[in-house]
Amino acid sequence: MSETPLELRIRIGGEAGFGIKAAGQMLARSFVDAGLETFDLTEYPSLIRGGHNNYLLRVSTEPIYSHVEPVDALICLNRETLDLHHHELVDGGAVIFDPDDFPAEDVPARLRPVPVPLTDMARDAGGKIMRNTVALGALLGIVGFPLDYLADSLRTQFARKAPEVAEGNVKAAQAGYSAASSALPDFFVRLSPVESAPRRMLVDGNEAIALGALASGIGLYAAYPMTPASSLLHIMASYEREFGVVVKHTEDEIAAMNMVVGASFGGTRAMCASAGGGFALMVEAFGMAGVSESAVVVGVFTRPGPATGLPTWTEQSDLRYVIHAAQGEFPRVVVAPGDREDAFTLTWKAFNLAEQLQTPVVILGDSYLSDNRQSIPAYDLSQVTVDRGKLVTEGDIPADALGDDGRYLRYKLTEDGVSIRVLPGVKGANQLANSYEHDEYGYGSAGESAEVRAAQNEKRMRKLELARTLVPPPAYFGSPPDEADIGLLFFGTTKGPAREAASMLAREGIRASLMQVVTVWPFPADEVAAFIGTAPKTLVVEGNLTGQLEGLVREQCLLRIEHRLQRYDGRPFTPEQIARRVKEVL
Amino acid sequence: MPTADELGRGLTPTWCPGCGNFGMYRALKEAIAELGLSAEELVMVWGIGCHGNGADFYNVQGFHGLHGRALPLATGIALTRPDLTVVVEMGDGDGYGIGGNHFIHSVRRNIDMTAIFHNNQIYGLTTGQASPTSDQFMKTPSTPGGVVEEPVNPVGVAVAQGATFVARGFAGDIPHLKELYKRAITHKGFSVVDVYQPCVTWNKVNTFSWFRDRVYKLEELPGYDPTSRTKAFDLSMSTFHELTCAPDECRVPIGVFFEEAESFTYQDGLPQLDRPMWKHAEKPRDISTALARYGG
Repeated sequence: MSETPLELRIRIGGEAGFGIKAAGQMLARSFVDAGLETFDLTEYPSLIRGGHNNYLLRVSTEPIYSHVEPVDALICLNRETLDLHHHELVDGGAVIFDPDDFPAEDVPARLRPVPVPLTDMARDAGGKIMRNTVALGALLGIVGFPLDYLADSLRTQFARKAPEVAEGNVKAAQAGYSAASSALPDFFVRLSPVESAPRRMLVDGNEAIALGALASGIGLYAAYPMTPASSLLHIMASYEREFGVVVKHTEDEIAAMNMVVGASFGGTRAMCASAGGGFALMVEAFGMAGVSESAVVVGVFTRPGPATGLPTWTEQSDLRYVIHAAQGEFPRVVVAPGDREDAFTLTWKAFNLAEQLQTPVVILGDSYLSDNRQSIPAYDLSQVTVDRGKLVTEGDIPADALGDDGRYLRYKLTEDGVSIRVLPGVKGANQLANSYEHDEYGYGSAGESAEVRAAQNEKRMRKLELARTLVPPPAYFGSPPDEADIGLLFFGTTKGPAREAASMLAREGIRASLMQVVTVWPFPADEVAAFIGTAPKTLVVEGNLTGQLEGLVREQCLLRIEHRLQRYDGRPFTPEQIARRVKEVL
Repeated sequence: MPTADELGRGLTPTWCPGCGNFGMYRALKEAIAELGLSAEELVMVWGIGCHGNGADFYNVQGFHGLHGRALPLATGIALTRPDLTVVVEMGDGDGYGIGGNHFIHSVRRNIDMTAIFHNNQIYGLTTGQASPTSDQFMKTPSTPGGVVEEPVNPVGVAVAQGATFVARGFAGDIPHLKELYKRAITHKGFSVVDVYQPCVTWNKVNTFSWFRDRVYKLEELPGYDPTSRTKAFDLSMSTFHELTCAPDECRVPIGVFFEEAESFTYQDGLPQLDRPMWKHAEKPRDISTALARYGG
């Protein structure tokens, strides 16, 4: 029994505008401060008030990588939460509720009702607004977890307000704690702080990407708000003065992408990000970055499309879109972080790749990555490197960047396709960066020559071969492929649920080998082909309707994957769903 | 410091003989040379159109961007390279049509850079369609029954939107235009210079002689005060003309409509812009204080 990691799965539900996410994140912070691991999932409609919001928090004594389906404790901030979510609770699961909202008899008999007068207690502590805090205290009360960590979180959260705000909240939590611990003294989950646990960070995907960009030396971030990328704009803006970043909320995404290309021309590390809809407006300038050989980083965080689609939900349906976006042909790199460790690492690496290759690099994420927080080992900043590629920022221009007439050739034909880039401001740096096809100097009209066009086109595409030697390789998890019963192939955030599924299956004696395609373009065809041929069966798992990854495998590897699991209802995969599909296939 | 001739040592211009772009090209090269800007501190940006072909003819640090997107492209340079002087060239379709949104927002930002609009009231490079500044009722291949809309009033829009320097020039008066350019480039803040630049191939109405018969200089207008925004706006409204208007009935003012010498620029609002922003990427940034906020 002691071998099994201790877990607690909590769902908090209520009306939008109740501060459910903020309350849940405070609870997560308290658990992480106490040495536990967490993963959260926020579900919310695209509105500010009204509608149903809910927040799922998984807590464990061991590292965890995704949410799971069952819930142990349900915090109902309104009646609707009970109706919508009671079926998710395990037998004996707790329902924390305000008896003013509904009678205890409404809680199904297989569950444990925990009536706590949330509104009355909040009012007694200083205001009805503290209802959520009473409920958080109640949750800790039923699992016997010391209240100190939450009290600390509350004091930090309200540090800038009058002291009575924090103390009122602590009092509210205490009231909830006492009421719930007497109402349910024998709940089946008991949680304690983990002594001497390693330090953990708690970040969502956008926070991870912001930190990666900052660490890499970003100097300009430009964006127009669009869910789920909006918080990245807020985070970057919050650091603009402290770290020296120009952060621009632009008139539209067209301006954002063009500003990023302009900043890159001046040598500044620059990035923009949006959802797929915003990226649609960026696409022409994304292509300009390709032909003008501009080092830019673009975040595309998928939400279900097309058009406005489902703004606050998730999907993996932009894979084909980003690898093909823009007219014409040019090299690009697309990396797809699977979790909040990948998101940090791949972001700072994206800036290096963009400059080494002088071409656009896309960070392909999704709402599941952007919106949800995960506890992870603290980032090791000593691992971060800056590689600016063939860049001259001062001094003399190297002789091999000059033409026969002694003038600098911005687009000189080279073996690896990368030309020496000289920043404006360096003596002799006259050059013409160009959205037109161009000759080695950059002249557009000279680019109309058939020979020049072909040579420049081939030069640029040679960089894709160089990219293959530089980009992050696929990542493997679970059983070694040659010992596995099944291989699972996926990209992006399916990583978390897939890793959890592999652990669940392992407990049942099923060996699953996992391959995460980290760099989705250039596509790692050789590695994928080798993986597919190793385990007796392969299952591709992806969050879209048309099988975009599976299609890429067919196109790039000339191989078919027989078994598929796809999801396109706006929700992320659960580990249980993947494990069920694996058992069907076997 | 490059001379006007040295600034022009790119490819040989391919504009139509007599094109208004030649006058603008010469006036700008002379203005830059007379201001004594070094090759290292000047950056030029172009949109797409006949004006943009000029990108090949200059010999400067430059970027030939997308149709309609020269302003945000230039903004990305201006907001990250305080050591550079940014001059943007656009056309009328380019800057006021497809790029109209960027025009409005660039004006209200008061970014310290210069925006020059080659206004020939027609689409040249795409063979003669109506532009946002074509006169009402002008017949073109895309408007065979005549343009229905009112033309864009770029001077009025810029003045109304808070521009701190707004001028109009005429490509047929190079010395005057050169002086406008010098003032625009020297001005601290966003400078708008709309230049009537007759298209000899596609616009048979608004020709050089049409303008010569109608232009007059604001500095010669007794009592005109370019520090009054409302007077500048009123004047901008008076310059709309009809295709058949007689020279004495529709006078076209050129010169500085409005100037606010001391203004708060976008760059003034960015205290972090204390160096070229590329310098932040010389080594990894120490973000340990930020990590601590997330528990790291």
